Amino acid sequence: MAETTYGVGIGWRPEIAGFVEELPGLRFAEVVAESVHAHGELPPGLQVLLDRGVTVIPHGVRLSLGGAELVDADRVEHFAAVASRLGAPLVSEHIAFVRAGGIEAGHLLPLPRTREAVDAVVSNVRRVQSSLPVPIALEPIAALFDWPDDELTEAQFLTEILDRSGARLLLDVANVYANARNRGTDPLDLLDELPLERVAYVHVAGGAEHQGLYHDTHTDAVPQPVLDLVAELCARRRPPALMLERDGDYPPATVLAAELDAIAKASGFPAVT
Amino acid sequence: MTGRSLADQQAALVEALTAGRPVPEGFDSFRFEAARLALLRKRAGEVARQWPMLAAGFGDRWKREFSGWAVTRPTQGSLRDGWDLARDLTRRGALPPAAAAELAEREAAWHYDGASSPRSRRFPAVRIAAGAVAVQVAGRVWLPRRP
Repeated sequence: MAETTYGVGIGWRPEIAGFVEELPGLRFAEVVAESVHAHGELPPGLQVLLDRGVTVIPHGVRLSLGGAELVDADRVEHFAAVASRLGAPLVSEHIAFVRAGGIEAGHLLPLPRTREAVDAVVSNVRRVQSSLPVPIALEPIAALFDWPDDELTEAQFLTEILDRSGARLLLDVANVYANARNRGTDPLDLLDELPLERVAYVHVAGGAEHQGLYHDTHTDAVPQPVLDLVAELCARRRPPALMLERDGDYPPATVLAAELDAIAKASGFPAVT
Repeated sequence: MTGRSLADQQAALVEALTAGRPVPEGFDSFRFEAARLALLRKRAGEVARQWPMLAAGFGDRWKREFSGWAVTRPTQGSLRDGWDLARDLTRRGALPPAAAAELAEREAAWHYDGASSPRSRRFPAVRIAAGAVAVQVAGRVWLPRRP
């Protein structure tokens, strides 16, 4: 996506399909890859976007690229088929694992920041890349806990994975904010250490604090410090695209529109509403 | 967990997180429990989307009810999780009346053995759940009005 600038987009979900369809300036959206049929009809709202020429990026959530076991071939095949189906210029997944020993965790889990974990991710990413028609961007997750045996800093861990796999970076500023806040570190330090020239696009999402920990919920409003971080990121190097991720407790259309406008303002891109 | 392979470490972590086991050695227990709770709440939301009447039947108590049941049970996907819970509640006589029709409709439409993915029934079926009756013929399901 380096050559094209997409501006502000949104995560497409069936519950807000009507709202997304009505956004006049929208040029890109993201859809959860596992929710799309590889060959059958697309959900109506999504087909309308494609017909309009909106770029739709498949975002995988269940490949478990950070799992010590090999990534599942059927899942990779589906992921690649969805990318072709949508005509996407790029796909994305997470630097995380979601299952182990035959048990589904039900959520994205953090990896130990070790060389063994880097090897596992890189090997799985290469396997996926060999089946994909387009490049992949990898997203570092928000973690409520860390492993006890870290060998690398977060920036070293991520940079090594990107360098060795050749993948692009899907940077989630809300995850950067959540991790820094929960670890008591400065989110700007991570921005300064990451290879921002590799950012394919950016996630922005809301969260809330419970019992002293910040949870990246995607069901709450985007807090001002996350928008401030968008501005800080764009001051360093503006990514080609940024998008709002909302996954439930959907607010009225006016509130969602205001969040998109706030992201546009913080990044300096034109409003899409 | 030093010295063990990544595969073993990941398996132990997922098992601890999803099967109600103690926090693995070396992890911050407060944060690990927070992650366990967040995971259960996320699952509760997903099951509520698949089983809206089951969740609605508990009102404000849904997340707590689901979490209490799910804390020792790794997810089998939200369709099966809700189904297993609804059957458990039925056995205990605790299925909310509002959820009975939803369960009866699904029992009539699908064959679910409790261990693998539900399959559509090939033959007509009548199923009763907590007093609600559902009839399925050729894939169509309806609830006959009681006399």
